[in-house]
Amino acid sequence: MTSTPENSPGDPIKQGKLYSSALAALEGISNDATVLVAGFAGCGIPQKLLCGLAETGVSGLTLICQGAWIQEPGDFTVADLVAGGQVKKMISPMPFHPTHGGPVKERWQSGELEVEVVSQGVLAERLRAGGAGIGGVFLPSSSGTRFVEGKEVRQYDGREHVLELALKADFALLRAMASDTLGNMVYDGTARNWNPTMAMAAGVTVVEVDAVHEPGGIDPELVITQAIFIDRLVLSA
Amino acid sequence: MPGTHLEPASIAQRMSQELFSGAVVALGPGLPCHLPGALLETDTVWFIADSGALGFTLGVKKSGAEHSAVDAGGNAVALLPGGSFTGVVDVAGILRGGHTDIAVLQPSQVAVNGDFVHWTSEETAGLLAPGSAVDMAYGAETVIAVMPHEYPGSRSNIVSQCSLPVDGAGKVNIIITDVAVIKVTAAGLELVETAPGWTAEEVIAMTDAPLTVSSDLKEMTFNVPTLEPTNKVYTSAVEALSDVPEGSIINVDGFAGPGGMAHYLMVGLRDVGVKGLQLISNTAGIARMSAFGAPNIIDHSILVENNQVVKATASYPVSPSASRPSAFEEAYNRGETELEVVPQGTLAERLRSGGAGVAAFYTPTGAGTLLGEGKEARTIDGKDYILETGLQADFCIIRGYKADTLGNVVYKGTSRNFNPVMATTAKITVVEVDEIVEPGQLGPEEIVTPGLFIDRIVVRPADFSAYLEI
Repeated sequence: MTSTPENSPGDPIKQGKLYSSALAALEGISNDATVLVAGFAGCGIPQKLLCGLAETGVSGLTLICQGAWIQEPGDFTVADLVAGGQVKKMISPMPFHPTHGGPVKERWQSGELEVEVVSQGVLAERLRAGGAGIGGVFLPSSSGTRFVEGKEVRQYDGREHVLELALKADFALLRAMASDTLGNMVYDGTARNWNPTMAMAAGVTVVEVDAVHEPGGIDPELVITQAIFIDRLVLSA
Repeated sequence: MPGTHLEPASIAQRMSQELFSGAVVALGPGLPCHLPGALLETDTVWFIADSGALGFTLGVKKSGAEHSAVDAGGNAVALLPGGSFTGVVDVAGILRGGHTDIAVLQPSQVAVNGDFVHWTSEETAGLLAPGSAVDMAYGAETVIAVMPHEYPGSRSNIVSQCSLPVDGAGKVNIIITDVAVIKVTAAGLELVETAPGWTAEEVIAMTDAPLTVSSDLKEMTFNVPTLEPTNKVYTSAVEALSDVPEGSIINVDGFAGPGGMAHYLMVGLRDVGVKGLQLISNTAGIARMSAFGAPNIIDHSILVENNQVVKATASYPVSPSASRPSAFEEAYNRGETELEVVPQGTLAERLRSGGAGVAAFYTPTGAGTLLGEGKEARTIDGKDYILETGLQADFCIIRGYKADTLGNVVYKGTSRNFNPVMATTAKITVVEVDEIVEPGQLGPEEIVTPGLFIDRIVVRPADFSAYLEI
């Protein structure tokens, strides 16, 4: 799953895991791919990679992400990708702001976009299971809600538990504050959000990072996502 | 003429009266985000947002999109000393695993029976936004719904039956609105407080559900409680473990050798002398026998030799050398102890599940082997799995490097091992550290185990030796 770092100093496209552009770092992504996108409420969004994804022109994408709740002027978010018509489906706990709306709401209403609403904890747990080799988990929280429909249910400790299956994706687009050239990651505040979990759950994990250090440049006790999960890096600026 | 509708700041002040010292409080988006602003920064309440912020107050938004700490609603927050950050999967574990006392949500509807619908609008009724509300409502002792009594257009948000699919069944305990406080009881909704200027009749008239008026109906007040810190620091291992009940299930940390083992707490547990213990641990005491330890290193053997152990659930239960059996092995061979052998990864996953509210999981490890015997087998997407269940404990003893007085813990090197996961699974978790520091002295990105998992802290005395006298 992890690509081998190749040190080719003369390569204009990549050195080791570090790619020269977002477009280059998304090489191999195809139509109908399933893509994990990190970010929570405007924090830790891989904007440059999302721009790169728009640039690839691939279509029919399934995006798994927090949703398109908050958009600052000048931001490029999943909402823009949806507006551009590249997305056929979004799986999200907060697909769009109920009152502010936006492109996700418009395309959902016009039938151009399929939206699957999932509870945040269930989505997180399904991705974690996918990344950790777990086939499925029995979770209690959806008991008595619409999220039970069509799923296998069992009793544990006298309470209803729902089987949720592992979830994996083709690509993960992440955002980190800093990494080393091997891909060991640290985050800034709540920009951590979905990143560590999504990093484990995709075939190809691409990280947009603010600064890249030499190995040893990041305190080993502070590393949140280990390099073995990371395939490609691109600088955010 | 009725009174005015309360502003969010006043509602937050009223909400604060539901808090108590040391409470772990999950906040959803909307009105709940105002609650930290009502408290003094010295108050000891752990606010959690599903964004991954733990222990915060309101903050100032930085310029542009790159604000680094937000709450559930995307508002900027500032960590308090002792606050830390985590990812969404760990937040889900905290919420679902029962580690919160109070959840505060802004539903769009609450019904007589405590059902609620999280955030939506009439226009988007087909597409509701559960966010983390489902887990928040499930895991908390008390669920507070805070909401406008009506939405614009005079539609009551408090109803006989939810008109939309619910995000939580029978979960809401208290409703605080901009005009009233209502308790959800088995007998229905009880109006207990009205906002200044509002009569019970006026509140009843704007509510689309039957309300009984409390015989003790009061006017809402807005005084904010002062919440004194709770003390987690104990003076000795024996003091911290003196109430371990007989027959307890106890998580004992450690990998193989002396690193990351709570030697001082082990000695304390031996000195307390409580019997019938069921240990959950990576080994059942092989440090003495293995090349990692010295023959007189303190390990689980001191508890076995003191006849305190009746069972071990472990992945390395026996000595690597058949000619030098461990104390547990000898006791097992004499028929004095039970043993459950679990592969290490499965042990870790079972503990993680126990702490994160996952009842059971399908793992490929052990499928088709002796370890899978008697367990449910299942093929998912062509791969064979067996079903394993979560583990929970009564007590947990772990070894940290440093803790602050709120219980935030950092580790050193591979002594981290089972400590962080074990800390999440027990009713009472006791940590032994080299040093206790003030909140704020451990960096928020550096904290590995947040203090909400830690109940008791002891310092390993400087003159304590991890080796028995021989």
